Amino acid sequence: MKTKARTSSWKKRETRTAYAFLTPWAIGFVCFTLFPILFMFSVSLTNRKLNGMTEYIGFANYTNMFKSDVFWNSIKVTLFFTIIMVCVTTVWAVAMALLLNMKHKLNGIFQFCYFLPSVIPSVAMAYAFRTIFGKEAGLLNALLSMVMGKNVAVNWLYNHSTVYMAVFFVTLFTYNTGQMMMIFRSGLNDVPQELYEASDLDGAKAVHKFFNITLPMISPLVLFNAVNGCVSALNGSFALLFPLTGANGDPDGMTQVLSLLIYKEAFTNMKVGYACALSVILFLIAAAFGGALFALSKKLVYYEN
Amino acid sequence: MKMKKVAAVLMTAVMACGLFAGCGSSDTKGEGGSDSGKAKINICTWNEPTKNEELNMYVQCEKATGIDVEVTVIPESDYSSKLNQMAATGDDSIDVFILWENDLVNFAKSGGVVALDDYLSDSDINTDDFIDTVSELSEGLDGTYGLPWGVAAEILYYNQDMFDAAGIPYPTNDWSYDDFLAAAEALTQKDGDSTSVYGCALPNVQTWWAGIGMAGDQIYDPASGEMVLGSGAEAFVQDCADMVGKGIMPEPSSDTADLFASGKAAMAWAGSWNMATYGDDLGFNWDIATLPTNAEKYNTLHTGFYAINAKSGDAENAWKVIEYLMSKEGQTINSTASGNMSALKTIAAEGAWKAESVKTVENWDAMTDSLENGIFGYTCLPAGVTSNAISNFNSAVTGGMTAKEAVEKSMDYAAETIGY
Repeated sequence: MKTKARTSSWKKRETRTAYAFLTPWAIGFVCFTLFPILFMFSVSLTNRKLNGMTEYIGFANYTNMFKSDVFWNSIKVTLFFTIIMVCVTTVWAVAMALLLNMKHKLNGIFQFCYFLPSVIPSVAMAYAFRTIFGKEAGLLNALLSMVMGKNVAVNWLYNHSTVYMAVFFVTLFTYNTGQMMMIFRSGLNDVPQELYEASDLDGAKAVHKFFNITLPMISPLVLFNAVNGCVSALNGSFALLFPLTGANGDPDGMTQVLSLLIYKEAFTNMKVGYACALSVILFLIAAAFGGALFALSKKLVYYEN
Repeated sequence: MKMKKVAAVLMTAVMACGLFAGCGSSDTKGEGGSDSGKAKINICTWNEPTKNEELNMYVQCEKATGIDVEVTVIPESDYSSKLNQMAATGDDSIDVFILWENDLVNFAKSGGVVALDDYLSDSDINTDDFIDTVSELSEGLDGTYGLPWGVAAEILYYNQDMFDAAGIPYPTNDWSYDDFLAAAEALTQKDGDSTSVYGCALPNVQTWWAGIGMAGDQIYDPASGEMVLGSGAEAFVQDCADMVGKGIMPEPSSDTADLFASGKAAMAWAGSWNMATYGDDLGFNWDIATLPTNAEKYNTLHTGFYAINAKSGDAENAWKVIEYLMSKEGQTINSTASGNMSALKTIAAEGAWKAESVKTVENWDAMTDSLENGIFGYTCLPAGVTSNAISNFNSAVTGGMTAKEAVEKSMDYAAETIGY
């Protein structure tokens, strides 16, 4: 009886200690995550302006939003940009990780050179690429002119047919892509060599080995990177696109993702309430992407245990 | 176990202290004191003050008033939004704002700045001497909430050497729009299929509106606060699209280079503040003229208003600083340093704005003419609305949509944004 009481009291103390350790995180979560989300939702029900003037207007921001062509264009661009950016950066990161995994003397230098742009702040890098992609005085056009021996004046960031190519090219040098590459590389090292040896005995080609051994074995990392990439594309694309194509997502709104529209409505039109309503939609899209990826992972991701 | 508990409690305490520290408010501000014991006033602006002390109006203000004037520079791209955030959070770190045209009324109505009428009644500042357009900006308010720091206009810059080489007479202040179009075409130099020198640079974010206004559109209706675009905008956007198509004007692009300054465009429409920047360093002879006259003679004026933050702890000294900056001495120093005119007619007439560094300019009448014919137009609209419209115009110029569609899209967005 005594032993049981002592165990129970010890368990209670353990539980209290666990809760005490959890408290700092809980405070941070409540103050910096939960409260801002709830506050954002409550402000989305007002016509709050940047100078603080505010009035409750119910769901008017949402009804106005659903009537706006600019909003629907932005949703379309956001979904397109997110899906393509995740695909492009993930494939690139896997390819780079595979190259790095080959045994070469200069691997260290190559890894350093590739990862270096990833640690440059996105805004600085995007401004550099904006200059590179200039039509009249851009470095890329100058190089192409030199190579082709005639004047090349492609308007990379204003031409409907080249703007996505230019923007997705820049995404290859973001921190997120560099980080993905490092994660994939560490995952590739953990793939058991005996699986490759067995497939060699069966006469499997490199392509077969990649799709039947490598990819299934690193599929949990693909899921992790895809989820991270989605969140990064949805929230972090602002830092890349604002310097490259401006708050209006030039040309013709083709790059106006939701985060750019939120900034424009809040800080240039001073419509904070409306911007919060847009943020709620962005939050829901991010949650939907996360949910869809985890649902998909049950079918596509291979776990050893 | 005890150690674990102590560690957990300590971590929680540190977290809580960090949070409460962030919630604290400064009580040192508002007493208006500086380390030297003098009163201190903080003023915010988007321009870095000149290093030349003689031409630095804030340094001269300190000498004249005995008040320490601290200048906070906020980048132009974020200027308006930062000021609005300050007003929303009751920030008292800035005593004197320089408010832009589209912010003055909002700040006055929301109580972010104080009325200056009581101060003005005991002051030498003659508000009847302001140019009429400035007084019109405060219409609808129950008093005077801001005083204009200066006025800038939009003008035509032209490369005299290129005009001489092409044998075309220099632009005059009564140039017509057709004269401009003909000269732009004649000045364009081709190198095979591509253009080596454009007849005119593409309008910039300011002068798109000058072109639309001179084509006959009202642009901004002060009575309703709405954007008003129509056939004038369509015609001007179409003209620009045609000129881009013929290689007379460059396409909109991500290039940041100034084509006029780099000698790749014979003419440019731009703000008068560029004169002081260009000085005599361009490597060619240049002069200015009034923007050409189309259906109307039109250019947009630009200003900022000195206003006292309602949360300032030292409004009396803030007013003394404003009073100096609006005085003949303050306005003259400002004009000499920036090349902008005073909004006070008698001071502007003395011509301190004729920047000494600009030896090449002879047609100074272009400035006074532009001031007389200028109005406060697009600058009274939300920046998001006007920048959205320019993106649409650019898209029309590159063939992404028609001029009519660009104007309609811009009007639709303005309708869903203005009056929020």
